[in-house]
Amino acid sequence: MIHTSSNTSMMRKPVDSRIPLALVALGVCCLLAGSYWGLARAPSEIFMGDVQRIMYVHVPTAWNAMLTLVFAFTCALLFLFTNDWKWDNRLEGAIEVGVVLSLLLCIQGSIWAKPTWGVWWDWDPRLTTTAVMVCAFGGILALRAFVEDPMKRAVWSAVCCIVASADVPIVYFSVKWWNSLHQAQSSPETVSKAFHWPLRINAFGILFLWTGFVMLRSRIAALRLRSELAPPIPASAGTEAAGAAPAGAAL
Amino acid sequence: MSGVIQGGWEYVIAAYAVTAAVLAAYGASIFLRGRAERQRAPRAAEDR
Repeated sequence: MIHTSSNTSMMRKPVDSRIPLALVALGVCCLLAGSYWGLARAPSEIFMGDVQRIMYVHVPTAWNAMLTLVFAFTCALLFLFTNDWKWDNRLEGAIEVGVVLSLLLCIQGSIWAKPTWGVWWDWDPRLTTTAVMVCAFGGILALRAFVEDPMKRAVWSAVCCIVASADVPIVYFSVKWWNSLHQAQSSPETVSKAFHWPLRINAFGILFLWTGFVMLRSRIAALRLRSELAPPIPASAGTEAAGAAPAGAAL
Repeated sequence: MSGVIQGGWEYVIAAYAVTAAVLAAYGASIFLRGRAERQRAPRAAEDR
């Protein structure tokens, strides 16, 4: 049983807003450096030629999209076990960022598929399971938008997130389990050493970026939750409260 | 037919441009929503 009164973490003072902004700035710098290296300095691949340079953004986006959704799964579990609202706020941030990265992943993949496979999209296992992942987590965002009761919204979305997370390992292993048109997972072991650095720098760039985005997005969720759960101000205290610091000012 | 893809820079540029546009748009949306939520919170408290 989750009690609203026991969940006071949303009233805590949040971390300094400079931390997520610094992470976003660091992420942008890494992405600029990694993209420059991938576009201008790394050699072209022997069969795919210059088209292979899409890998330097596509593969890091894929790794980080799955990592974000694994983080969302962790937040869902922690919310259900600890009843702490901060995990619900982080869950909302992580799912939204995960859906954005997954959609971006599909667009990048389509752009790569056209010159290499000859089609923009194919219902192969990797692409199909990724589409299911986007729809499942997108559905949880829709659920959160429609449910007004904060407690029902938090519990339902945490449970749905745990169910939807079953698709994440299926996406990852789909190229191993089924005869897939999509190539096997790209990692430092499966690609040439000349391609390692832009791949790694961009991977860290997107990692810093999504961490900053999730922190900022969680803060918006915390502000909304605070205004939803705040007790009504008595009429006699209305004039005093008007001059006091607003409820969400610390965030 | 050599089996080697020739050219393709237009696809590379498109992929990087879409990535930059999506990440920038999402970052801007977080900034704007955060600002709107900070402005809305005191009004909601006063309404109550």
